[in-house]
Parts: sequence; structure tokens; C-alpha cells
Amino acid sequence: MKRIIIKNINKEFRVNRRENDSFLAKILVFFFRLTGLSKEERFIKVHTIRVADDVSFEVEKGEIVGIIGLNGSGKSTLLRLIAGIYKPDSGNIQTTGSLIYLSGFGQGLQPLLTMKENIYLMGAMMGLSQAEILTRFDEIVDFAGLRDFVNTKVYQFSSGMSARLNFSVAMFCVSHQNPEILLLDEVLGGAGDIEFEGKALSKIEGLIHSGSTVVAVSHDLSMISKYCDRVIWLNKGKVVKIGKSAEVIGEYIANNEW
Amino acid sequence: MTTTIKKKYVGIISLSYSLAKANFKVRNEASYLGILWYLLNPLSFFLIILYLRGVLFSVATIAYYPVYLMVGLIMLNFFNQSIGASIDLIRNNAWFIKSIKIPYEVFVLSIIFQAIFSHIFELSLVAILFLYFHIPLIGLIWYIVIFIFYALFTLGLSFLFSTIGLYFSDFGNIWSIISQLLFFVTPIFYVVIPGNYVYSGSLFNPLFYFMTSIRNAAIYGVIPSFHMAIALFLLSSCSVMFGFFIFTRYKGRFAEFI
Repeated sequence: MKRIIIKNINKEFRVNRRENDSFLAKILVFFFRLTGLSKEERFIKVHTIRVADDVSFEVEKGEIVGIIGLNGSGKSTLLRLIAGIYKPDSGNIQTTGSLIYLSGFGQGLQPLLTMKENIYLMGAMMGLSQAEILTRFDEIVDFAGLRDFVNTKVYQFSSGMSARLNFSVAMFCVSHQNPEILLLDEVLGGAGDIEFEGKALSKIEGLIHSGSTVVAVSHDLSMISKYCDRVIWLNKGKVVKIGKSAEVIGEYIANNEW
Repeated sequence: MTTTIKKKYVGIISLSYSLAKANFKVRNEASYLGILWYLLNPLSFFLIILYLRGVLFSVATIAYYPVYLMVGLIMLNFFNQSIGASIDLIRNNAWFIKSIKIPYEVFVLSIIFQAIFSHIFELSLVAILFLYFHIPLIGLIWYIVIFIFYALFTLGLSFLFSTIGLYFSDFGNIWSIISQLLFFVTPIFYVVIPGNYVYSGSLFNPLFYFMTSIRNAAIYGVIPSFHMAIALFLLSSCSVMFGFFIFTRYKGRFAEFI
């Protein structure tokens, strides 16, 4: 059974758009076009970059697929396209089953709220009801190892503590929902100190091997080769190669050696 | 199928409620007295205009002028607070939108919830004036009934302006002028009498209908006429439908703009 079917998707982003999207500029453009004084193209310099270029692949149920590529090659965009956060310009994306998109941990915390309030808020944002968060609350706190700080405001946390909290909330919310498709964006690298890193890694391992279909983006090639059955190599939005992990990663390294 | 749809909507509403509660807490950070800040805006306007009433025209004819004024002030405050927050809404929640798959309607609803929370505090000022002037408190029930329509009307415009605010990056500047003008063109501190050209102009101002009917019903015990009730119903339902339509139509591209 196929969980994700992607057929010939294309996506372009318009760049340098900011200076042209003011209200006044749009009215002026409209006016110029109306009077034929200036062509829109001349007034608005729109550049586009292609972030997905005729991408097609399929992911089987239970399969773990990694996506690699240089910065700006369209890895995260591809995950967001699958998650439905971006819409493709053309092509088809079909996913079967519940889906969770998890992106690097960091900015979701509200510094002025306490840790407890943050757990409830983040949990709610990730789709859990208040009652469900309550059942997971102790696990989250204990996993993060921050039992003493439950009622402390998060702005007083060190960056390591924030990272632990973020990671724990995200992980427990995801594992509680037990999604059929899991899209991981740069979460394979752990967070925090050595002690927590080990814990975090085994938690991620548990998540990946929980039977979900996983698509993971990472720059950590050793992690990718360790967990993924197949690897997709992207460059400038194009699929360079899809295949067995060792094979694709080997070629990728050979190609990008400095 | 209907149960899953129902569950989805219950989820959206409860999530936006949690979000509003968290933001409300952040705004009143660290003090219960923080709530008093909500009253500062209507109270200071109230006192200044009461002070000026001697030089304002047509004011002498208004019975219970302080109550009339206070109701107008807090009603406009609700509107301005909601729309003002809508304009930067999507940009302010960029991280959530790009990192978590979340229904965007949640953010708009949470703004309305937040505005309702602060409106409840402001309403205490009206209640005090009711007691002071021995106006029957039963009028507050009418207030709530009409306010529900008003809140729906505002919700629709919040959907609309959160979309517009994202597409036109400078719309905040335009809005700051509009909101100031609204204070003068809406009968907040004065009254308009049929036959006057200002009255004819006010008929094009949706806020005029809500202000008039809510004051008549709550303060003077004159329940809305059939035509007025129809007008309120049409204004709120058209606003919600139109705003939601625009929002739904463009929300697929929100993530690309932030």
C-alpha cells in the first residue's frame, strides 16, 4: 500500500516580492495597466526560483525515506508540500492516513508563560485536547527533566532547557497521536547535552520504528544512512537520484566533496 | 462523516480559545492589576468627552449621556482591537504556520475571543453606570444578544482583513488612519437625527446599525424593529460569509508570504 504518491509536482516561489506588495504600489500598478502607460512586468520585477521541479516519487506504507541535498535544494519545501502547508503549482500529491509535520524545535515557546502553560499551549497547537495533554503531562515533564521548573516562566530558561522542553512536548504529542505519516524536518539531530542527547535519540528511534511511514530531511548523513531504507537526493528542486541509502549517499558525498 | 467534521470544528474552537487565553495571560503578565489596563482606554476617553460635553452639539438631547457614551466607546474598542490585531495576524504567527500543520482559522477566532475577554471587563464599566443611573439591568441581556451579532460581524471582517493585511504589507498604516476616522464618523459621542445629512451618511456605516440598536435596546428599552433585526442579521451573516470566503480562497498561499 502506498502512503504518499507524488506525481510531477512543480513549485515556484516569487522572490524580491516585498517591495512591490504595498497597497500603494498595487494601486499604481493597477492604474498603469489600466491606462496602458506601463506593462506590469516592467513595473514589478518578479523573479522566480524553482523549488520543486517535476518531482515524482512514492512512499510505501511503513517505509522510512530520507531526503538529502545542499542548502536551498528544496528539501523542506518538499516536506511542506507533502504536509499541505504549501500548494503545488502543478502536479499531484496524494497522502493516505493521518499526517504530522514536525519541524526543528525552537520558536514555539511563549517566553512570558510558565512551562506548564507552554506545555498546554504547544500540545493544543499540535492537535491534542486539554484532557489528552493532562494524561501526558507528567511524562513530558519527566522526560525533559525539568520537574523543578514547572511553574517557572520560560524566558528564564537556558537555551538547553528550552530545547529539552520543546523536544519533549513535540515528541510526546506526536507519539500520542501515532500518525500514519510522519514528516521530520531536521529533527534527527538531538537537542541538549550528552545525557539528554542519548535519551532524545532513543525516543526518535522509537518514533521512527513505531510503524509510521517516515519522510525525514537531515544533513546528518550518518543518521540518514542508519535509519532510512531509501534516500532521495535533491538539487535545485530536481530529483538527482532515488535509491538505496548507501548508494545515493555515497554518490552524494563524492559529488559534493570540497 | 458528520461526527469527524463536528470534531474538527470543536477542535478549532477549543484551540482558539486556549490560544486566546494564553495571549490574554501574556498581556496581563504578572499582575491581576494588569486587567485595569483594559479599562484605561475607554475610561480616559470617557472622562475627556464628558469634560467636553458642554461644547459638543446635540449632546444635551441624549438621555443618560454617560451610559450612551460608554457603550459607544467600548463597542468601537472591540471592533478596533479585533481588526487591528487581524492585520498582522498571519505574519505574527509565521512560525506556527510554517512549522505545524494547523488550521489558520484558529488564529482569527482567537483574536475575537481575546477581544471578547477584554470586552467583558469593559462591560463592567457599563454595568456600574447602569447601577448609578438606575437603568434596569435587564437591558444587559439585550446587549448580549445584539453583541453576538456584532461579534460575528467583526469576525467576518477579521477574516477579511487578516487576508488583506498579509497581501498588502503596508495595510497597517492605512488601518491606523481608518480606525481614527471611525471614531469620528460613527456616532460614539454624538447623536445623529434623521433628516440630517450626517444621518444619511451614517446609513452607509455598518457600525451605526449595531451602535444604535444596542443602545436603544440596552439603555432605553426599545427593542430593535423588525427591519433593524433583519439589517443586523444580514450585516453579520454577509460579513462572515464574505470574509470566510476570501480567507478560504487565499489561505492556501499564506505560508509562502511569510
